[in-house]
Amino acid sequence: MKILTCPMNGPRNIDEFQSFGPVRAEPDPDMTADADWSRHLFRAENRRGMVVEWWRHVPSNYFFLAERDLVTNEIIRTFDASERRAQS
Amino acid sequence: MPASPVFPFMPGGAADGASLPSGAVMLTDLTGSLRFGLKGGGSAGWLASRGVPLPAVNRIESWRGARVLRLGNDDILLLAEDADNALAELAGNWHGAIEPKGYSSWREEGWAWLRLSGPRAPSAMERLCALDLRADRFGTEDIAQTRVGHIEAVTFRSQAGFDVLFDITASAYFARMVTAAARHCTDLPIDTEGRT
Repeated sequence: MKILTCPMNGPRNIDEFQSFGPVRAEPDPDMTADADWSRHLFRAENRRGMVVEWWRHVPSNYFFLAERDLVTNEIIRTFDASERRAQS
Repeated sequence: MPASPVFPFMPGGAADGASLPSGAVMLTDLTGSLRFGLKGGGSAGWLASRGVPLPAVNRIESWRGARVLRLGNDDILLLAEDADNALAELAGNWHGAIEPKGYSSWREEGWAWLRLSGPRAPSAMERLCALDLRADRFGTEDIAQTRVGHIEAVTFRSQAGFDVLFDITASAYFARMVTAAARHCTDLPIDTEGRT
């Protein structure tokens, strides 16, 4: 069983979670060139390294963030979304 | 005594023919008991302003005979087995209030509330839920939001065993899951025909 640690509920079977994909930049469509906007809408990154992703703990409907190594698939840490807002 | 049907019973519905197990593992249906849930911005503040003590997330507090379950920062559920008046009064005040007060999470309509009890209830719970719910790890004021019997549920300890709250549409499925788990973990009789 693979375990993911929810910041609110603690370690749980990963079966209790739903992935919502990487945190992405939010460019202003009025200020972005067409080519860049098209890339934002239709192109997905496929790189090595770390990614920060949205996850949801389904039973509690709690959304949080997880930092994951794209090569080893190791979850480095999970944290509440307020932590990201505090950094930006 | 006839076996208890699953609530809400509707002829021809999914719960038709399903009944609650009794014996060494027993399910009691508390779905008809009063409860009141608030969710969203302002709900915690409004309850605090009415003197309702708010525990930490995933903890339980008592208030005028009711239990206050904190399921999230602004997701609070009040359960009343013996405190109908206090809860009815609070709900009445909330409906009449105009200040920021969150919104009703409709728990009295959307959630079933079943109590797992009996001498083999802990063994049955071990088969239904992957979490460590032993008494020294999961106390009377703790809440687990997890999966019980493969469905999303909120569970906590009651004096008799475990209370489980979950989507009411899965009531019959849950009753059958508990019956199956009970029959796997005990040689003692498990009855769904009303013989015990």
